[in-house]
Amino acid sequence: MNGDNHADLLQPPSNVEHAVSERTASHYTPLPTYRLPKGEHRHYQQQYADMYFARLAQLKPAVEQIASEAWADFEIGGETASRKDRVLDVREGELCWIAGTLYMEMPLKPNVLEDIGKEHWIAAPPPRVKYDTGGGLGGDSERGAHAGGGKGLAGAQIMLEDESGRLRLTGGYLSGGLLVTGAIVAVMGTENSDGDFEVLDLRVPDLPRQPSRWETEDGEAALQGKSVTTKRPISGKVAIISGLGVSGVEGDTLLLDLLLEYLLGESADPASQEQAASISRLIIAGNSLSHSSPIPSREELAAAAKKGGRKTYGYDSASYNAAPTDHLDQWLATLLPSIPITLLPGEQDPTSTSLPQQPIHAAMFPHSRAYMNPPTGPEGPGWFDSTTNPAEFSADGWRFLGTGGQPVDDVYKYLPDCEERLEMMEAMLRWRLTAPTAPTAPDTLWCYPFQDGDQFVMKECPHVFLVGNQPKFETAVVEGPLGQQVRVLAVPRFKETGELVLLDCETLVPEVVRFEVFDEG
Amino acid sequence: MAQDYTEWLAINVLNEQQLVSYRSLSRALKVHSNLAKQMLYDFHRNQNAKKPGTVHATYLITGVKQTERPATNGMHSQRDGEDTVMQSSPLLPSSSALKPDEHDDEEPNAVQTVMLVKQESLDLAKAKFESITGLHIYSLQAKGLGDIQSLTECNRKIAVDYASEDPMEVWKQYGTIQNPNVKRRTQRRQPPPPPAPVAKAAVAKAKPPVPTAKPTTLKKEASKDSEEAKPASNTCAKATTEPAKKPPTNKRQSSDIFKSFAKGKAKAKTEQESQESAGSTPKPAPDDEPIAGFSDEEDADEGDAAVIEEAPKVVNGKSKKEREAELQAMMEQDDEVMEDAAGAEPESAEADVDEGAIDKPETQAEEPKETVQIENGRRRGRRRVMKKKTVKDEDGYLVTKEEATWESFSEDEPAPKRIKVPPTTSMSKSTTAAAGKKGARPGGGNIMSFFSKK
Repeated sequence: MNGDNHADLLQPPSNVEHAVSERTASHYTPLPTYRLPKGEHRHYQQQYADMYFARLAQLKPAVEQIASEAWADFEIGGETASRKDRVLDVREGELCWIAGTLYMEMPLKPNVLEDIGKEHWIAAPPPRVKYDTGGGLGGDSERGAHAGGGKGLAGAQIMLEDESGRLRLTGGYLSGGLLVTGAIVAVMGTENSDGDFEVLDLRVPDLPRQPSRWETEDGEAALQGKSVTTKRPISGKVAIISGLGVSGVEGDTLLLDLLLEYLLGESADPASQEQAASISRLIIAGNSLSHSSPIPSREELAAAAKKGGRKTYGYDSASYNAAPTDHLDQWLATLLPSIPITLLPGEQDPTSTSLPQQPIHAAMFPHSRAYMNPPTGPEGPGWFDSTTNPAEFSADGWRFLGTGGQPVDDVYKYLPDCEERLEMMEAMLRWRLTAPTAPTAPDTLWCYPFQDGDQFVMKECPHVFLVGNQPKFETAVVEGPLGQQVRVLAVPRFKETGELVLLDCETLVPEVVRFEVFDEG
Repeated sequence: MAQDYTEWLAINVLNEQQLVSYRSLSRALKVHSNLAKQMLYDFHRNQNAKKPGTVHATYLITGVKQTERPATNGMHSQRDGEDTVMQSSPLLPSSSALKPDEHDDEEPNAVQTVMLVKQESLDLAKAKFESITGLHIYSLQAKGLGDIQSLTECNRKIAVDYASEDPMEVWKQYGTIQNPNVKRRTQRRQPPPPPAPVAKAAVAKAKPPVPTAKPTTLKKEASKDSEEAKPASNTCAKATTEPAKKPPTNKRQSSDIFKSFAKGKAKAKTEQESQESAGSTPKPAPDDEPIAGFSDEEDADEGDAAVIEEAPKVVNGKSKKEREAELQAMMEQDDEVMEDAAGAEPESAEADVDEGAIDKPETQAEEPKETVQIENGRRRGRRRVMKKKTVKDEDGYLVTKEEATWESFSEDEPAPKRIKVPPTTSMSKSTTAAAGKKGARPGGGNIMSFFSKK
């Protein structure tokens, strides 16, 4: 079991020259899809309703095409389904299909009007495990959660909405499906005597077109007039990590140190070091700091009030603790000379709280800043790329779509009894509302009011969809109707699991490296 | 070379009882990390052969652990017997995702483990591994390791001790994976320098650019005075460490407090004014409060191990710090010291003035320039003021005339008292000048003479 080859390092030093490896190069092209305009160009005057309309307008054609293909020759009792343009055109007893936006009315969902009525908080609302009464209730019962009867979507109402109006949906079919507010779907059925639409079948827009590998780079090269290189070097691996959770507390940084040494190729035996040398890029998907979000949670505010300290209005600068950022900065600066890093902010990181989260500012990283692009310099991928959340980029030719986990977490709250995060991610892809997306934005996931076109609609299908801050590592391959294949990765929180995901860029097969400290207990 | 590391390790591990990891060794001796690991092993073996138990080690094992039940298997048990749950049926009609049960049967993802373990538990840990690809010593220490988390100390020390090394040049010898494509830009400003000594030097440089609104002589005098003030403040140990350590937020706070005390005219530098008037107001009684406030904040801040020195970026902040140093110094110095400092200055001013008076009737006295000097946290200077002079005429009438006179002022008292220094302006008439001179000068221009009178 313990062969002798692994004990190379358990011997006295000899004069053998130790090799210094070189890292595989990483080809990287960040896409500015989610960057918001800066300064005064960023407006908040517009209404969120426009986002929904834009989303509907963008996705309606796609979903209608799929629906018409599927239901063209569908017959029940001699009747074929006809397409209705508007939701309100549905007549009782007629078999038809319509397309629109789903809206779910759930009793425990944070309701803006209720909030305003009750109190003025700037704190984030208390986190809830699920919004439905029937499902697992994790949050507090301030709102008087009434016991919903049975499992499933009890207590929730599902409606279909489009430009003309809203229609309530019922039917046994609904309890089996994944439904969240904001998804664009086409439903087929008929209106019953109550005025509700009974659903027999449901269709989603499904995956959009997927670019081929290296298409982004080739396209850009063509635009710039350079010759398209046909030969590409063999790509290495991409390391993905999330949820570092650096806090000022020193007790939990050993794992970070182990990770650092592994990535630098200093720890472990030469074989592992060679393997580490093939890691061409590190992607950090959110929550690198813990408790650094600018908005205090409700618990923090309550604790501060209890302490009875002097009431500070506005920002209490004396309470700023620079240690976590400093630690993170040092950690990054140690890694950067050897490996390029892409940093996505997460829910607890010091940046905007609404999606799309803008990049963490260079001022937070005095040491690592040297590796970032100067703000007025040439555009081009920086060695250290602090990017948005969600982020779209092309690494080694593959199109990556990454999020810090907020959209999936939010979708999770909508679905009773469903614990399968992978399936939610797959669903998000099929609704074409992944990135960032949250189909639930802006309803329960705060986001920027896009004016002309919902940026959250996915235009091109990525090759890799990675979601950070998930409870455990999961992966799957999702296939689309046009032959697209998407590798879906749920990246676990490093602070809790100590796991690092390595994705081989030639085969898109992930593997895991787990760091741990032996516990005798 | 063989002797070097044994010696070095003997000193650091045994004598100084420090925690030495392979990284610290590699940086100290400038060797490849793998070589350092071997050195550690050798030392460990030799020392324990001579006297068992002198040196304890922690090991790093890499390999594949024996597979426990993969995590996804847990889902099965939850879902037995429930058929309303959707896992068994496709959620979306076009779903083609592998269902979890199928997924498990196919290749489970390869999981490599990197595990840190103390030497006492090494065998236990090895038993958990199905196959081990690597095993080496991570660190050595003299006594047993109580808290394994204390190993982070090694890396932290490396970061501090070797911060000045340029990674791109030096790390190759340590065996770090090199990357030829690294893009790094040279910074105009250094990343936060280590506190105190560098900060002080930067302060002197930063000071001159700050007073932009003032005339040139003012600036020169200001910087000159700041140099003088510095030795004074250097005597106070607290003052020196404080400004370097205090983050900019403190200055904001202090200026907030002191702005409420600030009286007096708004001059070119309002920041300075708040600082100086802060110096003026809380002299005896409220004196304790700001000091207490400072010390509280200092304690709170010293709890933060590494305070980001934002100072170099904020040029204004530097001068504020410097002024704060002066403020502190001023607060803590005795009155006698202040007296001396205060005495020194007016005397020199007086000397100038006397000469001016002698020369005055003949020569056109040069226009005294409006100057403001900063010394010991007080604003002193000369300025032009309209004063009313009431004079008895030949006929016995009281005549009130307004004239412009130069006076020197100092703002270290609650109500800025005007020290009457004989004006040497060419504008004053001879009669009023003579009268004014006599009346305006109590006790020879010494500020302290005010108090002696009363």
